[in-house]
Amino acid sequence: MNQKLKIMVVDDEAIVGKRLKPSLESSGYTVETFGDGRSAIARLSKERFDIVITDVRMDDVDGMQILEYVRANIPQTKVIIITGYASVDLARRALDKGAFDFIAKPFKPGDLRTVIEKAARAPSA
Amino acid sequence: MTDDSGHTMNKAPDRPRESMCVYAPMDAAERKSATAGRHTGIQQRACFPVRLRLILAFAAIFVYCAGVTLWTIYVLPAVHHKIRFLELADAYRHETAQMRRFEKNYFLYGTHLRDALLHTQKARSILSDNEADILKVMSRGRLTAMQKSLASYAAGLQKLAGGHSPEVRAEVQHRLRKYGHRLTADADAFSIQERRALDRTFSLLRTGPLILLAVLMIILFAAAWHINRKIVTALGRLTDFTERIAAGDYTRITFKKTRRDEFTQLATAMNQMIDEIEKRQEILVQSHKIRAIGNLVAGVAHELNNPLNNILLTAVSLQENYADLPPAEALEMLADIVGETERSREIVRNLLDFARQREREIKRLDLGEMLGRAIRLVSSQARMSKIRIETCIPDNLPPVHSDRQLLIQLFVNLLLNAVDALSQNAHGRIAVTVDAPTQAEYVAVSITDNGPGIPRRLQDRIFDPFFTTKPEGRGTGLGLSVSRNIIEQLGGFMRVESEVGKGATFTVYLPVTRVPH
Repeated sequence: MNQKLKIMVVDDEAIVGKRLKPSLESSGYTVETFGDGRSAIARLSKERFDIVITDVRMDDVDGMQILEYVRANIPQTKVIIITGYASVDLARRALDKGAFDFIAKPFKPGDLRTVIEKAARAPSA
Repeated sequence: MTDDSGHTMNKAPDRPRESMCVYAPMDAAERKSATAGRHTGIQQRACFPVRLRLILAFAAIFVYCAGVTLWTIYVLPAVHHKIRFLELADAYRHETAQMRRFEKNYFLYGTHLRDALLHTQKARSILSDNEADILKVMSRGRLTAMQKSLASYAAGLQKLAGGHSPEVRAEVQHRLRKYGHRLTADADAFSIQERRALDRTFSLLRTGPLILLAVLMIILFAAAWHINRKIVTALGRLTDFTERIAAGDYTRITFKKTRRDEFTQLATAMNQMIDEIEKRQEILVQSHKIRAIGNLVAGVAHELNNPLNNILLTAVSLQENYADLPPAEALEMLADIVGETERSREIVRNLLDFARQREREIKRLDLGEMLGRAIRLVSSQARMSKIRIETCIPDNLPPVHSDRQLLIQLFVNLLLNAVDALSQNAHGRIAVTVDAPTQAEYVAVSITDNGPGIPRRLQDRIFDPFFTTKPEGRGTGLGLSVSRNIIEQLGGFMRVESEVGKGATFTVYLPVTRVPH
């Protein structure tokens, strides 16, 4: 890891961002958090992120829409989907659409860190 | 939401409004005891079955016919005797007439005395030979008097035969005239009298059957009328009753008759059948509730994962950074954990409150609160499908009387139905509105979705049990049927308005409880 990875966390549950930001920053990542999909996409159009971690179910613009946006516009950015319910169907759909991986709630920061590290090592699509 | 240009279709059975103003339906236990009371009441009434009525009616007709036959059997021999007597009377009259003729000849010409004696003898033998037959019609005293006259007459003739003086002859002639006259007069009188009696009997035999036939007709009409009244009327009542059951009205049959018969047995059996149907309905409502809970659990589990995730993330952060955290931040984290735990508790409590099996209890309920609970129960389900639920529930709604869980179940059913209808819809929207016009007897709760709508040809059938448009294995087809059943239990009714492509509105009309001032 030559340079700091830039990570975006999107979840309409405010506590998720509030806890993940210091936790991931302590692991050496640069982290920005957003509480809704719309402002996250607005930010993505301006700034390049290495990894986007997004909750799948949100009002208005949801995780799948963020995934679609990223795949269409910034394909080198990897997307990790957070799901509230580990439905096989949803996971398959997310992976079909090009998500790097998914993680089911509830998870520990360590679980997420493992997935992030895996994503960091993986070659860009 | 309501399409003004669209047709308003009334899918609720068109029952008169008055009949629906049942403000506080009897609860199950109360109704059961009332039914039981009626059942025992009817069992104590005297039993007078239709079978017995029929037997009695036919027995009465038989007795009447038998009476008529016996009367005929009695009358015909009497007629026979009379005819026989008339024959004898005619023969006797003939003999006496001959006897008198020869007696006259003797006195005029002195001839034929033997012939007169011969005919006298014949007349006597008619009387003596047929004594038994004559006595059936005539009294013995009279017969004896006749025989005496005849004997005296014969004695007179004998006297003439045995030689005589002119004085004796004149005296005997006088006696013979006297007895002879009496004999012929008697014979004539008899003959006429008996002929008249016979004529009367014949005319009675002619008119009698007509009268008997008329009486028989009256008896038959009375029996037919009675049977018609008992059977046809009772069958009519039972037919009306079965039609009412089919329409979902489960009021028990009341017994109007003072005595029991087969129809009261049938009615009792039908009342037991209704008890059974109601039990089944209750089981159906319960089992459908369990299905609804099954649906809700998926949403609730998902909903629960959010606070659980928040708690886990916060607790792990607290654990990992325990030594370095400033106290204020640690306290904030602990407050988050407490808050999120309480949030989890609320989610679980709401579902458990709905899931718990309770005795039905009708009480005054806040309609807005019940709707709020139902909406919260399905909210996670709706969020999963990205369906927005909009509410327009005014304050100060009139109170309704209902069982709390039943009312929530009703709204949950209709909301889940709307959620199902919107599963393929990108911008699903459910609007819950309450319309409570002052002075109106009903408060109207409308649940509108912007889904695909219901084709008009299906609108009549959607409330039928087991009717579903969902693919096999997805729906039981009982949701709307159970919902309608619940509404009817609460004394209300439901209507649907829908057009293909324009969504659907289900409106529940619940009776308002009016508090007298």
